[in-house]
Amino acid sequence: MTQGTTQQTRSEPLPETVIDCSELTTRDINQALRDHAAAGTEAVTLLNPAGRHNLAVGLASPMRIAIQGPVGYYCGGLSDGITLDIEGNCGWSVGENLMSGQICVKGSASANAAATARGGTICVLGNAGPRAGISLKGATLIVRGNAGPSSAFMMQQGRLIICGDAGENLGDSIYDGEIFVGGRVASLGADARFEPMTDSDWTMLTSTLAPFDIAAQEYDFKKIVCAKELYHFKAREFSKWKDAY
Amino acid sequence: MTDPVLYTSSTFTPQVIDAIQTRAELGRYHIRGFGALRNLPRLDDLVFLTASLTRLPLEGYREKCDTKTVLGTRYAKRPMELEIPITIAGMSFGALSCNAKVALGQAATWLGTSTTTGDGGMLPAEREASSKLVYQCLPSRYGFDPRDLRQADAVEIVVGQGAKPGGGGLLLGQKVNQVVAGMRTLPEGVDQRSPCRHPDWIGPDDLKIKIEELREATNWEIPIYVKMGATRVKDDVKLAVKAGADVIVLDGMEGGTAATQSIFQEHVGIPTLPAIVQAVEALKESNVYGEVQLLVSGGIRSGPDVAKALALGADAVSIGTSSLIAMGCNKPIYVEDYRALGTEPYHCHHCHTGRCPVGIATQDEELMARLPVEEAATHVANYLQAMVMETQSIARACGKSNVHNLEREDLVALTLEASAMAKLPLAGTDFIMGIGHQPGH
Repeated sequence: MTQGTTQQTRSEPLPETVIDCSELTTRDINQALRDHAAAGTEAVTLLNPAGRHNLAVGLASPMRIAIQGPVGYYCGGLSDGITLDIEGNCGWSVGENLMSGQICVKGSASANAAATARGGTICVLGNAGPRAGISLKGATLIVRGNAGPSSAFMMQQGRLIICGDAGENLGDSIYDGEIFVGGRVASLGADARFEPMTDSDWTMLTSTLAPFDIAAQEYDFKKIVCAKELYHFKAREFSKWKDAY
Repeated sequence: MTDPVLYTSSTFTPQVIDAIQTRAELGRYHIRGFGALRNLPRLDDLVFLTASLTRLPLEGYREKCDTKTVLGTRYAKRPMELEIPITIAGMSFGALSCNAKVALGQAATWLGTSTTTGDGGMLPAEREASSKLVYQCLPSRYGFDPRDLRQADAVEIVVGQGAKPGGGGLLLGQKVNQVVAGMRTLPEGVDQRSPCRHPDWIGPDDLKIKIEELREATNWEIPIYVKMGATRVKDDVKLAVKAGADVIVLDGMEGGTAATQSIFQEHVGIPTLPAIVQAVEALKESNVYGEVQLLVSGGIRSGPDVAKALALGADAVSIGTSSLIAMGCNKPIYVEDYRALGTEPYHCHHCHTGRCPVGIATQDEELMARLPVEEAATHVANYLQAMVMETQSIARACGKSNVHNLEREDLVALTLEASAMAKLPLAGTDFIMGIGHQPGH
């Protein structure tokens, strides 16, 4: 057993393995998670994360991880197939480059949530800071609260679902993918445009949000997609390009 | 009747006239490949003081001159061990054809050195061909995959490159075919404009955390390089060192690209010569010289360039454009196809068009077939081998049994500007421009 790891003794059906982060280095913690994954442990709880950066990064096994407290940058980053619950707020770039799996942040997320994530789902039950879903490449990012400015900047594929309000420059320089906003949109960025909601959009939102106890029908969702006007340069449309190219 | 005398304006040269009229046609800046066309202070402006009576030379064909090079000794459990001090620089599949990428990997493998991925991710065939592969982590993160990261022998975080420091990459729609678009998660045929900043971190304090993330994801096994275009070199190198880089990769303004605004190539950054000198100073002032290795690139063409870079304090060099030239870039074959692009062999910089006559910078199947992998790899390997032999020849002539023993004391400058930039004495004098007379030099 890795140093600092104890067996869970409470009677409730909680995860079996607990790692107390307070006496361990980040290297020790991540190595312990890898060791548990290799040993076939199904679920691990991390206690006392104390805002530490780089927890649960680069994991490639379908393990359930619960982190009891706030975390720093890159929590769950570069991972593939994990199920991660963060019982607190998180710093920059939670779930960065996630390939598959699910991350749920019970608090709020700082900047760049789900940056460049390629698969899986990241759900922030609080608010998300600026640039949420930046360079998103196929994952789904859900924000139950509001999202900051320049969210979905240079988004390439996937879905950004913001139940609350979206800050300025939403979807700036988006290549592809879909953005849904349940509240107000401060402004759209270059090459983003509204598109009418369809029945299939509502069906998708209902099924995607339900696992997080969010009722899609309670929100006035608007849909934003790429206008595709900046795909190729056009000299006669300089006003669009001078700030975008 | 005699021919009229033609007067040429020094302000509005034929090139300037063409540049103005090109912009008048396009309504935007000019985009092109290759690198800076202008004349720059370069390593040619330095010469070696080889052995005579004050130093003993080594026998050229009999006495050993070691070329082994190790990069990434600071934190990595598994540093990059190379047989030669020359590596292949990052160039993307997308900018280059699959054949070109595989040939580079094959040549590097034959010579015991590394090659590097590029924007767009790791091509499986490239991984297979390359015994030592550096995986780039670029601002775009096109195709970035932790599964590929775990297969890499080093990671290179790209902050910038010499051809366009401060600017993002470009890949025009004609090269974004189905395969390239799929690897980059982009719509087919789109003009791809890569970001210039990383999506998940911004300043050097964040970079430190990013480096830790990559180390954790790779179990601290492989080195982390940080690549930068040469601008404010001293500060940038110190910040990268503080952020935890194992290796600094510094790309001077002679560095090439498959496409960028020509204004970047000609007016942005500093040449490789002063960049090396400033980087070495920064490493020494940070007390990590020898602990953090320096890999320099940008206009390296020959063994003498390699030897001069090592003598100035670099640990290794990286080549990009010259490796493509070795495999046939600008070769006088398929001349009609050069002309169709409005250019001629030796002058082509049309990588951005995707119509590379020799099959290197293209995604067109027919053009790519003009570049047989085995032949291209052989040419690159021969060229690398020749450069290593040239470097060893100079090192032996300087009395060194290891190319890494070349030192500043072996060099002098031919011009005042090279003297000022390299902080070396002007040949035949003890005068260093900007410092003054230094008796004993």
